[in-house]
Amino acid sequence: MKACMRDRLLILSVFVVASCGLAYELIAGALASYLLGDSVLQFSSIIGCYLFAMGVGSHLSQYVKDERVLDTFIEIELLVALLGGLSASALFAVFAWSGESFRLTLYALVFLTGAMVGMEIPLVMRLLHQREQRFAELVSRVLTFDYLGALAVSLLFPIVLAPRLGLARSALLFGLSNVAVALWTCRVFRAELLRPTVQYLRSLLVLLVLGGGFIAADELTRWNEKAIYGDDVIHAETTPYQRLVLTRWKGDLRLYINGNLQFSSRDEHRYHEALVHPVMGALPWAQRVLILGGGDGLAAREVLKYRNVQQVTLVDLDPAMTGLFARSAPLVALNGGALSSPRLRVVNDDAARWLEQHSDVFDAIIVDFPDPSSFALGKLYSVPLYRLLSRHLADNGLAVVQSTSPYHAPRSYWSINATLRAAGLATTPYHAYVPSFGEWGFIIAAHRPGYTPPQAYRVPLKFLDREATRQMFFFPPDMRPWQVEPNQLNDQRLVHYFEQDWSQVIR
Amino acid sequence: MQRRDFLRTAAALAGLPWLSGCQQVLGWGLPIDVFCPGMAAGHRLRDAAALPPPRSERRVDTVIVGSGVAGLFAGWRLAREGYRDFVLLNGPEPDGNAAAGAFDGWRYPTGAHYLPLPSPESAHVRALLADMGVIEAGSDSLRPTFDERVLVHAPDERLWRDGQWQDGLLPRGLGADDDAQQQRFLLHVKQLQQQHGADGRRVFTVPTALASQDPAWRALDGQSFASWLAAHGYTAPGLLWYLDYCCRDDYGSTLAHTSAWAGLHYFAARGGHAANAEDGAVLTWPDGLNPLLRHMRGRIGSERQLAGAAWRIRQQGKQVQVDYVDAGGAQRLLARRVIVATPLHVAWHLLPQLAGLGFQRAHLPPRAPWLVGNVLLDRFPAEPASQPLAWDNVVYGSRSLGYVVATHQLIRAALPERTVFTTYHAFADAAPAATRQWLAAASADELFAHATADLYAVYGPRLRRHLLAARLTVRAHAMASPQPGFLANPGLAALRAADGPILFAHADLSGLSLFEEAAWWGDVAAQRVLG
Repeated sequence: MKACMRDRLLILSVFVVASCGLAYELIAGALASYLLGDSVLQFSSIIGCYLFAMGVGSHLSQYVKDERVLDTFIEIELLVALLGGLSASALFAVFAWSGESFRLTLYALVFLTGAMVGMEIPLVMRLLHQREQRFAELVSRVLTFDYLGALAVSLLFPIVLAPRLGLARSALLFGLSNVAVALWTCRVFRAELLRPTVQYLRSLLVLLVLGGGFIAADELTRWNEKAIYGDDVIHAETTPYQRLVLTRWKGDLRLYINGNLQFSSRDEHRYHEALVHPVMGALPWAQRVLILGGGDGLAAREVLKYRNVQQVTLVDLDPAMTGLFARSAPLVALNGGALSSPRLRVVNDDAARWLEQHSDVFDAIIVDFPDPSSFALGKLYSVPLYRLLSRHLADNGLAVVQSTSPYHAPRSYWSINATLRAAGLATTPYHAYVPSFGEWGFIIAAHRPGYTPPQAYRVPLKFLDREATRQMFFFPPDMRPWQVEPNQLNDQRLVHYFEQDWSQVIR
Repeated sequence: MQRRDFLRTAAALAGLPWLSGCQQVLGWGLPIDVFCPGMAAGHRLRDAAALPPPRSERRVDTVIVGSGVAGLFAGWRLAREGYRDFVLLNGPEPDGNAAAGAFDGWRYPTGAHYLPLPSPESAHVRALLADMGVIEAGSDSLRPTFDERVLVHAPDERLWRDGQWQDGLLPRGLGADDDAQQQRFLLHVKQLQQQHGADGRRVFTVPTALASQDPAWRALDGQSFASWLAAHGYTAPGLLWYLDYCCRDDYGSTLAHTSAWAGLHYFAARGGHAANAEDGAVLTWPDGLNPLLRHMRGRIGSERQLAGAAWRIRQQGKQVQVDYVDAGGAQRLLARRVIVATPLHVAWHLLPQLAGLGFQRAHLPPRAPWLVGNVLLDRFPAEPASQPLAWDNVVYGSRSLGYVVATHQLIRAALPERTVFTTYHAFADAAPAATRQWLAAASADELFAHATADLYAVYGPRLRRHLLAARLTVRAHAMASPQPGFLANPGLAALRAADGPILFAHADLSGLSLFEEAAWWGDVAAQRVLG
């Protein structure tokens, strides 16, 4: 290979090296603002630390002896590849397993990577200078490619790499690029190296480590989340609306939304049978059913057992949630493919907004909203919402509302009952025992009083029969109704009741 | 006036003035629109002399000039009573101080944003709310039932102090003396709520027209609220900040420039109740008070609403000429009665005969300039879990008035993906004329910095991540400020009493800029037309 060709390769390596250098800086900044918040502070302090470290690296480069420049360059490349390439995965792990040393690790890693990267450009310049390039031309070419590399990554990182590969894999990809430069240099400058074979072997070793990391990156993230959830995490996803985490331990499948348990496959049938069948069993003529919330398709599974049901409309905000439960094999097995049923229509919209903007009328409405744990969620348990609901309910139809626990949260439960009544609905409260949740409560609402629980069911059930149904509508002395106020949006008593209730439960 | 000049005027007056911002710039990398409602048209009216002869002439029994709260309320009352022979001139500032806008469907107020629960005396406001369905039952009772969607939802207010939020707007934790003075003041005004004058009327009422005329109590108007507070031993800084905030919020003036009568009126005159909300609750909509105006417009009918702006109003014998400009040029209306429902500084230029009615230039109430900012946000900035975002969010010690959240009243299963925060700033600290000069010269960036001062104080630079667009509304003559002596203004008394062919209706007649006052004078004028 001709000398000038080799020089060109060196210049090209400047481009790659500069790209990687900036990438590590961006990844550290993005990771820190993702985990710690306050991105302005994180980015500023990381860029500052990184640039300072680069200065230190440049300063140190003068101590490299002329005859060792090429070897040192390769060694530095491999070190940068290791430090930078594993940085994101290592930081994730430190955050998950020992949150306290996170900041220290972060800045130590940023400083070390910065110092290594700071040595790269001076070394390349010296290499080229040894090859008797004119100094003016040399500086201009090296810096041009240095800055071009920075531009390329600053665009590539936020647009393509971070969203497609994620932070851990992006870092590993740049680490692999550094190794590629090292390998390429070994090959092209084999004759000029002091210990070519050693450098070759080192490069291959680092390549192996990073390549393995790239393949195992997802596994690594899962392993970190297991530290948080306890069980094996089989799916984890952050959607624009929530963080969905699915765990499995032995046969038990669990869904967590934002860290709160939504169901356990061990006993979800109890919850969903109790939610659905007292209403559906009493409406043998029901054809049109509305489900609000319930993007897991488990309530829909129960509803679709009835042949008289012609159309189920399921309104759930998050397409990622309904998509997951329509496609993932273990979840489809759990909900019986309900979300793909031709009798079911999924609407990804805010349930309250959908009620406001549509006028369809249903024979049965199943309301499975999150508990009223915040002012925003408390609004879903209000007179205006229930009035809206009653406009969608057929004259002889029935609605059922998931209503927290009459045992653990009696103020909340009976306040929801009072609110439904204040909205002009006739109510029938009932409850069921769900081991994962404890004693749980529901309320049936209708335009007129006179609801009677079903005596028998025409569909196969695991939990409910005549006697179990009768018991659901019986409130023993320790679950007698409480005299509480309905929820008014002006003061949202329900949210205060809910806080009060759960603060008294030791769990 | 040259023809070309005139055409420009016509275009400015008629061409959807609420859409023609003064300027649009890309400040801080953000699209910022600046609107000055009515400015171009108003200044041309002030500066120009004559209009070419009208192209058309139309007879109508009554003309309402102006479409703010007073004008629309007059029209609503007329329409409700079955009176049909009237038209309403929209003017260059439709909906006045209760105007609104929308960012691609996300509605927001550009002026007034709430209405207190109507007091027993505000039967006129209750009638409107009942007509809208906002009062669902018990319109005449002490505690009507309101539509909960409109009653402000919890949490309604919070105060930012020392880097933390507190519940409510009264600052807490400023020491035992401050707390004690706050309690004493609240008790004091609670007693004043029940205080009756020698004539048997309540001393402080909304509308003010029904308040006691007892001179012993009216004498409060002779001093500033600041001096009244000092004389009664109210010196605690937290309390004084809060009271000053209230005066700036309602009147656009500081304690020192607010009449003591008006200052106490703020606290003692309200006192409406609701069957389904606590006392002190307010009514609010995403776009402030604008839905009330839309409702009144609906009752009036679009066929009675003209898109022109009045230019001259003259009484000739028993009939009144109203010359106005619209897209087609100059037009004339001939009416038996005219309700002038414009602010009085506009009426001053519309009516050459105003002095003859007993109103002199010196009687014009001082007017406070306001800046209303609306920022469209992509997702909500993070809030502490223990103190979530409230409807009204105020910064202790700030010279601005905080911000309200336009999506607060929405009922949603998840936080909306976008929201609009509306910031308010009343320029109470400088002379209004000097402020207007500054406003006229200020760049969009300067106005933006002013309008978002409180937002940046609370959220810091992370706010920028959420900002998508900003619209700033400059109301340089926003509202009459009730300075000491305002109750004795003889010019206002003359216009309130006017019952000839020309009638007046505006909150300016009370000297306080409140919805209930504007509606009251609209109602009074309509009743006079109806005879």
